[in-house]
Amino acid sequence: MIRVVRGLLLRAAVVLTGTAVATFALLWHAPGDPALAIAIARYDAVVPAEVIDQIRAEAGLDAGFWPAFKAWIMPLLTGDFGQSSVTGRPVWPEVTTALSYTAPLALMGLLVGILISVPLAVLAAQRPGGWLDRCAVALASIGAAIPAYWLGLLLVLLFAVQLGWLPAMGARTPAHSILPALTLGLGVAASLTRILRSGLLEAREQPFLPAFRRRGVSHRAIERDHVAPHAAIPVVTIFGLELAFLLEGAVMVEVIFARPGLGSFLINAIEARDFPKVQAVVILTALLFVTVNLLIDLIYRALDPRIGAQDA
Amino acid sequence: MRSALAVALALLCFALIGPLIAPHDPTAIDIPNRLSPPSAERWLGTDALGRDILSRLLHGARWSLGLAFLVSILGLCIGTVAGLVAAQGGKPVDWAVMRVTDIFLAFPEIVAAVVIAGVLGAGTGSLIFALTVTGWMRYARVARGIGLSLRSRGYVVQAQLAGLSSLAIARWHYLPSLLPSLMVVWTGMFARAILGISALGFLGFGVQPPMPEWGTMLLDARIHMRSTPLQMIWPGLAVVICVLAINLSGDALRDALTKEDAPQ
Repeated sequence: MIRVVRGLLLRAAVVLTGTAVATFALLWHAPGDPALAIAIARYDAVVPAEVIDQIRAEAGLDAGFWPAFKAWIMPLLTGDFGQSSVTGRPVWPEVTTALSYTAPLALMGLLVGILISVPLAVLAAQRPGGWLDRCAVALASIGAAIPAYWLGLLLVLLFAVQLGWLPAMGARTPAHSILPALTLGLGVAASLTRILRSGLLEAREQPFLPAFRRRGVSHRAIERDHVAPHAAIPVVTIFGLELAFLLEGAVMVEVIFARPGLGSFLINAIEARDFPKVQAVVILTALLFVTVNLLIDLIYRALDPRIGAQDA
Repeated sequence: MRSALAVALALLCFALIGPLIAPHDPTAIDIPNRLSPPSAERWLGTDALGRDILSRLLHGARWSLGLAFLVSILGLCIGTVAGLVAAQGGKPVDWAVMRVTDIFLAFPEIVAAVVIAGVLGAGTGSLIFALTVTGWMRYARVARGIGLSLRSRGYVVQAQLAGLSSLAIARWHYLPSLLPSLMVVWTGMFARAILGISALGFLGFGVQPPMPEWGTMLLDARIHMRSTPLQMIWPGLAVVICVLAINLSGDALRDALTKEDAPQ
């Protein structure tokens, strides 16, 4: 077990380092002179060449790729995300503020998704091929094909513009979170229903279930003790994918609903060419992803002992 | 399921002949008739600059579907080569290639594509680059998995002993067994690419105006949501129908392939 964990940790470290290098290389090779971009963003005017050279030296841009990379990564290892190249203010507090808007939104989206998909999948799997099952599958397929931004706009159109029930833009009151959470949640529900349903159906096919039934074990006990744990395995893996969906969705939803958060923070940073901010978001996302995938790997192994044996 | 395939093929034909049957010039500006409702002359009405929406949708198919096709094929080629190199190259090469795929998978695809396309500057070139770079990993994993399982098969070992080069073995022994599975992955990635292109277009990092692309059209339509809500429906509906048809075709393909495998 220790060997497995060490292998997984090594893998995570390699992935994170690779992400850092790849991101830095991308920004390093971005078209245009970054020093000039900073100068324009700061002074909003034509600046003399000396000032641009000064900015270049200040930001460590004149030293070459690896020294500049080192100047960025060393403080990062101690948790220092550096300063915004545009405002000069530290990046970290702004990132945490953005995160404090995105995290609750993502959680609400996930909750809405679970509340819709679990009952739907359980009901659908009761009678495979029945009308309820067909409806659930159809809804899940359509849900997977609807882009989050269009769904969000349709919800705004219906509930905010036509009916006038809910506010659409901004994040001032709790009511402002309903439509964004619904947008995210419906997307989550589509994929979760699909996977949960096939997981349940597959779990019911297990060859040992008829044996239990013949021994007189009650239907409820079989469902609870043998079908549910089996169906849980794909659900655990899917949470990694749902996390990706939630993050992608949050970017879109924050743009549609003009909400503050990590997504709009990222888009604004890209448009302002404020690269320290872009780097911070990228590294944090990768860290979150790698951590969650590591946990999923471990949970997966705990749920299904067969997995650990294959690739220790 | 056969109907899904028919719809998907019909849509691809539309993307090819769409510009030929479009009733108007998709970029012709007609300010006096801006935001006009659907009529006999203009079936789906006009947008904020008086451009014909139906014509823009038809021309847009070439951008949205054509670019998605290109991107998913590029990903297929890169991913297959990477996967086969990993499967044939021995343990260190395998480890290295798989860690590179992990790096690219350590990120939601659309977010990575937004960062790449945004940083490189808006334009079709950076759009294609961004979506290709973030779209090859699944092919690589599938190709590697099947490649590894084939490596110890008798005919592959014999081919090796007979002195066939790795390239020849990959071409004659791996690729034919890989293709069906890769086709299934490809349908999924094609659908994802359509979503990705329209998402980037919607964020303003994709195909640039005045070119009609469905995501960009949606971005334009969003501002006039209150006055002409219908304008916002069409491009989104086009995306949904395409993605749904392609996804269902992919499911049908996968079911057909698993049925074929079953009796063995």
